Amino acid sequence: MARRITYVLASAVFVLAASTHAARAQEPTRVQGLVTNDNRQPLSGVSVGIAALGVGAFTGDDGRYSFTIPAGRGTGQPATLTARRIGFQPVNATINLSATTITKDFILGSSPTQLEGVVVTALGITREKSQLGTAMQQVDAAELNRTKDQSIVNQLAGKVSGLNVTGSGTQGGSTKLTIRGTNSILGNNNPLFVVDGVPVSNAARSGSPNGGNATTGGMDFGSAVNDINPDDVESISVLKGPNAAALYGARASNGVIVITTKKGRATQGRVGTEFSANYSWDSPSILPEYQNAYGQGFGGDFKFVDGAGGGVNDGADESWGPKLDGRLIDQFSGAAQPWVANPDNVKDFFDGGHTMSGNLAFRGGTDRANARLSLGAENVQGYIPNNKFQKISGLLSGTMQVTPKFSADATLQYINNDARNRPGVGYNTGILEQFIWFGRQVNMDQLKAKRFDENGDLYNWNYNYHNNPYWIQFENPEADERDRFIGVASARYSILPWLDATVRGGSDIYALDISQQFAKGNLNWSVDPSYAGGFAYTTDSRSETNIDFLLTANRQVTSKLDMNGTFGLNRRSETFSSKIQQTNGISVPLIYNVSNAAITPTLAQNDTRRRVNSVFGSASGTYGGWVTLEGTIRNDISSTLPIGENSYVYPSGNLSFVLTEAFPSLRSNTLSFAKLRGSVARVGTDADPYSLQTTYAGDSRKFGALPLFGLGNTIANADLKPELTTSTEAGFELGFFNGRLSVDATYYQKTTDNQILNLTVSPTSGFTSVAINAGEIENKGWEVLLGATPVRLGNGFEWTTSVTWARNRGRVNELSGSLQTVTLGSAWGATVEARLNEPYGVIRGLPYARDSASGQILTDDDGYPAFGARRVLGNIQPDWTGGWSNTFSYKRFVVSALLDVRQGGDIFSISNMFGQYAGVFKESMYGREVDFDDPGVTFRGLNENTGQPNTATLTSEEFHHGLFQLHEAFVYDNSYVKLRELRVGYDLPANWAARLNSRAVNLAFVGRNLFTSANIPNIDPEFSYTTGNFQGMEFAPLPNARSFGFNLRITP
Amino acid sequence: MTAQTTLRYLSGLGLVAAIAGCDADAITKVNENPNSPTNAPAGAVFTNAVQSGIGRYLGWNYNGRGAALVIQHLAETQYPDDDQYKLFDANSTSGYFNTPYTSELEDLQKVIESGTEDERPAVAAPALALQTLIFQYITDTFGDIPYSEALKGDGEEAILQPKYDLQKDVYAGLLASLTKAAADLANPGAVTLGSADPIYSGSPASWQRFANTLHARLALRLINVDPTTAATELQKALTGPGGVFRSNADNATMRWPGDGAFNNPWADNFKSRDDHRLSQSLMNAMLANSDPRIPIYAQPTVSDPTKYAGMPNGLSATAAATWFNTSSRPGAVFYPGATAYGFYGGTGASFPQQILTYAELQFIRAEVANRGIAGLTAGQAQGFYNDAITASLNQWGVTNAGAIAAFLAQPGVAYKGGLDGLKQIATQKWIALYTDGGNAWAEWRRTCQPAGLVPGPAAVVNYIPRRFRYSTTETSANTENLAAAVARQGPDNLGTRMYWDTKPTAAPTCS
Repeated sequence: MARRITYVLASAVFVLAASTHAARAQEPTRVQGLVTNDNRQPLSGVSVGIAALGVGAFTGDDGRYSFTIPAGRGTGQPATLTARRIGFQPVNATINLSATTITKDFILGSSPTQLEGVVVTALGITREKSQLGTAMQQVDAAELNRTKDQSIVNQLAGKVSGLNVTGSGTQGGSTKLTIRGTNSILGNNNPLFVVDGVPVSNAARSGSPNGGNATTGGMDFGSAVNDINPDDVESISVLKGPNAAALYGARASNGVIVITTKKGRATQGRVGTEFSANYSWDSPSILPEYQNAYGQGFGGDFKFVDGAGGGVNDGADESWGPKLDGRLIDQFSGAAQPWVANPDNVKDFFDGGHTMSGNLAFRGGTDRANARLSLGAENVQGYIPNNKFQKISGLLSGTMQVTPKFSADATLQYINNDARNRPGVGYNTGILEQFIWFGRQVNMDQLKAKRFDENGDLYNWNYNYHNNPYWIQFENPEADERDRFIGVASARYSILPWLDATVRGGSDIYALDISQQFAKGNLNWSVDPSYAGGFAYTTDSRSETNIDFLLTANRQVTSKLDMNGTFGLNRRSETFSSKIQQTNGISVPLIYNVSNAAITPTLAQNDTRRRVNSVFGSASGTYGGWVTLEGTIRNDISSTLPIGENSYVYPSGNLSFVLTEAFPSLRSNTLSFAKLRGSVARVGTDADPYSLQTTYAGDSRKFGALPLFGLGNTIANADLKPELTTSTEAGFELGFFNGRLSVDATYYQKTTDNQILNLTVSPTSGFTSVAINAGEIENKGWEVLLGATPVRLGNGFEWTTSVTWARNRGRVNELSGSLQTVTLGSAWGATVEARLNEPYGVIRGLPYARDSASGQILTDDDGYPAFGARRVLGNIQPDWTGGWSNTFSYKRFVVSALLDVRQGGDIFSISNMFGQYAGVFKESMYGREVDFDDPGVTFRGLNENTGQPNTATLTSEEFHHGLFQLHEAFVYDNSYVKLRELRVGYDLPANWAARLNSRAVNLAFVGRNLFTSANIPNIDPEFSYTTGNFQGMEFAPLPNARSFGFNLRITP
Repeated sequence: MTAQTTLRYLSGLGLVAAIAGCDADAITKVNENPNSPTNAPAGAVFTNAVQSGIGRYLGWNYNGRGAALVIQHLAETQYPDDDQYKLFDANSTSGYFNTPYTSELEDLQKVIESGTEDERPAVAAPALALQTLIFQYITDTFGDIPYSEALKGDGEEAILQPKYDLQKDVYAGLLASLTKAAADLANPGAVTLGSADPIYSGSPASWQRFANTLHARLALRLINVDPTTAATELQKALTGPGGVFRSNADNATMRWPGDGAFNNPWADNFKSRDDHRLSQSLMNAMLANSDPRIPIYAQPTVSDPTKYAGMPNGLSATAAATWFNTSSRPGAVFYPGATAYGFYGGTGASFPQQILTYAELQFIRAEVANRGIAGLTAGQAQGFYNDAITASLNQWGVTNAGAIAAFLAQPGVAYKGGLDGLKQIATQKWIALYTDGGNAWAEWRRTCQPAGLVPGPAAVVNYIPRRFRYSTTETSANTENLAAAVARQGPDNLGTRMYWDTKPTAAPTCS
């Protein structure tokens, strides 16, 4: 890694050293002024410039700007000076260039959504939004950081139409993101993240509802993009599909999220200090509702002897035992203990979580050079006992205008992410797993107080299946740490006034170390009971380096015609390396070192490399400021495809037409802005590395002394082609009442064909799958963004509101030959599939058998519901998603709230299946309210043999056991509404701020996930174990945190 | 243009060239897999196939949670879902069908191919014999299976949806393979598998005896449905080149290293699971004759350490739980010392598993003699029978001649001849095949002995399963061929009989 960092630094040095040109004195026109908002507060970061001349500057912290126009350029002519800032209506002014100093002040009015103004688009190029023919949405720092989440992408939830954000609940866990549905059946469907022009990794090491990940114990180690410190972000542009993102190449098909970090500014010698601090209290937002009438056991009986079957049903981890009426029963905690309910025993397990974070940044500079240094720290005490997270980050960015023609900038970020005792997820490894079973009489305090028995062995309520939950968190130490550098350096040279050349080099490099240790006696696979413990150590390192060369042209050809063009070259190199050492037996207790392995450790090594070389270009022309036509083309050459197929070209084109500019007569007091746009694009995606050859895999463990090799299970295809996504979109943007109301809507349709599939073949062929190009997925849908300022009163009261709404329909139109389905994942006999002629992501499983005539459920002779033939039971795609944000401001107070809505889609809930099976969830009281066998369950249905109504009665226990893997009974509607964000902010009086040598001090009460309404019982309906394609099934997910706290922000 | 400017443009162009200047060959080199080779030594592939295949069929899931419960060697005390046949749904048992094809069978196919290509019979023939054994387990478990078109997914003419062969044809193919293996090994050549073969250290003569002995097992399966072929093939087996097993020393034995990485699968299971007890069926049959193998097969009960007892199969969870301490755990030899629930002494982790034994061969000979076919006569039957039992006792560690003689003299054991003799042979074979549930199950289906095995009261079907259901993967990935097989063979349920199990009335022991 050191070599790569050196490389990045060397690039920066090269860029800085290459410039020795001194500026010559000139007689310029100087333009300067002050920009303020409605309340006459200075606005920083406003872009003020003359587009036709390509000159301009940003306002500093005092709201002032100034720039010079070289002598001779346009002198004596009128020019349009425009002031723009994200979140404000742009304002134009005409000035006469006069080779003197011109002072022009601006007052900008805020707008809730943005139809015009400068936005960051593909390749970090800033463009006028009204000239874009593609759908994109930009979120600025203030909106992004209204409330604090550990994850920067979670903070986007509900704010961008068409961006689906599903958090994982696990602190530091992964967030599943999709834009406009899923393109690739088996490939990557995550958007590309680009920070300051450098693509960064969002790779995740994830868990699953099965939890069956032998190396990491089924933990969710989070999405790598969460390393980015939200306090360093200036804006996030979401390019919603291939159309907007075509210039990014292969990875653009899923959309691109372009993150721009804050930069230094000219501060006239003063150092600007910005500071923010957060403190919040976190707790699980949703916990299951339990029954509290019956304790552990089977058939109404329980007596503890050894907790493993030696007593009466004491091996049971279910709660079909005696009624909790205070009788005396031998329990794990001693003989003849009162048999009473512990209604809060699960709740008692959780600690109150705390999150503290702070960020301190300095910035300053002159016209020629500026810099920003930011330091951030976050400290999370998870709501799971002994679970901690710590993140520190540093960012240094600098810009230098070396000569009028030559500038250079560089940004270096370092992030250290440190987690301890991260909770496991899923069935085999989840920390909450045993609470889906559990004895309802178990007193959690006794487990907390005592983890070892008198012999030093595990002390628990059950010895068959579960470890004491505190044992898991305290005796099996887990630690993972990610060190990451993201660096970019670029140099820009103005070859001609309208032509710039840029060279940029950037790397994202990280190393992730995961260490998991297991104490002696830990139940399940992880420790062989003959030995003193075990461990698994994993080291991942990942790097991506991009080197770009860009020519950008921006020229006013005639007074009516502006032309823009880019030509670029890119070379992308990715490496990934993973090394694992694990053993389930060590010799001496508590020494978790490879040298202490009693069982030869399993070693695994996986190295992958990928390289893509690209050439790309774009050209656009704007005529009369009202019509813009743009075309792009890119050619990728990828290492992962065979020669002959590895070079592929894809074009895109888009058109923007501003009606209100073209036909000024349309403009009225009602309609202030109207634009139509349309776009067509195609993007190709390569294969995973090493997909072209079938290989043998070795086993690091020797059989005695004998080496082992086995042939891989996928028949490789040496003739793979790239996947191709073709996308069409059209949209309109309307502004009314001078920006008080705006609508931005897009309809899109895209198809991805040549899908690279690992087609399941008959295992009797000797293989499980063959890699092929086949199949087509179609996604189409609407995205709507609505913004309004319904109320703006003279006394300063303002209400702004915005609504995001999107619906996507993904459908599998084609698969290969007779192939009916591709399975994306499965658990307990239910599958999530991409099934021919069905929506993408159907859940299939076993339904109730039904009478074909009456539709009534059939039962067998014993009274159990009968199982029908496997069929589609649901679909993981939501019908629509949306967000509704409201902000009320009055004088120094601002109150804002965001509702995040997901409507429709289904979940197969394994938690609910086992929670009922095990007799612990409230629903399992059905049939045993009176006493154990009375009344029992006489299931309403028809006997499948006689056709008569069922009369057979089952005990509640038998009935609920009979529902095992009757998937239909546990497929639920996944709709939810969350009060995602609430903020009540107060600006301290200006004199207080002045005393702190700052412009503004804001104190706020903030809350996240304060309220959730869902159709599914017992679990948080928002969960993701992984950023992969297997979604829609859960087991014991960690609920997202409900948090509330305070935020202090000092603005320089 | 100044020199300085020129220099600057040139350096810019140099950068462009550096970025663009990558020819197509160089970039595809990036895609050469550094982790896994495209070729591997035949020996290492063979070793892997052995541990994988034997570990599967003599191992835990197929055996301990499947065949050994069906055949009532074992029973379950807690979560007796397997013992109630609830987990014999197609989804749960698919792995016994899918994985052997993609792992050991395919790997052995590669060894056979490379051994044949390199003209190394002592490499190819053992692989062929072992592959035949694995195919035998699969066909005996499912019936018709892909065989002639199987394992050809990566060929020039790739077959991704192999047809199902009739079990009759599969058996014919397996018998032919064994004939070929034994014949090829007569001229083994210089190169053997050597130490890469954990069973016979590459010895061609041992593999020859293995092939012939396995030949005898397979031929006897056909005795009811096709007595003529059975007799011919038995004769061929018993007189094959290189001969058959001569004593326990020839047994095919899987010696598990027991180093934690590769343990005896039973011991591996008992490390953390305490669900299994001896079945009452097996225990009562052994108790009736004071079988000296009882203290090896089983442990005394916890509630009464002077007593051995089995438990009934297929009980409800509630009923099964009551047998937790009152029935016998499998013998301490199968336990790895420390478990999650106690200490059981023993070195079970390295306890060897018997793949094919001299005892079974002598039981086969006893039956063949009793039936008076393949060159043997009824008068020889008792000798073979006693020899078979003696070999089994020896194999399980009972070597005291007095104890052996006493056992053979037990009225229930002493050979009676005729139909009773056939039943005795089958019953004693069933006892001797303890730990090889799959073969015990097949023999029960063929012989109906021991008579009177019935499913437990909580079983989900009211008969002892005669097969497992086809893989759910096949339902989607090989739909038409599977449908054809089901249409031919009978419904894809637990009750449809094997080809060799379709004429119970022709089997003299069935009644």
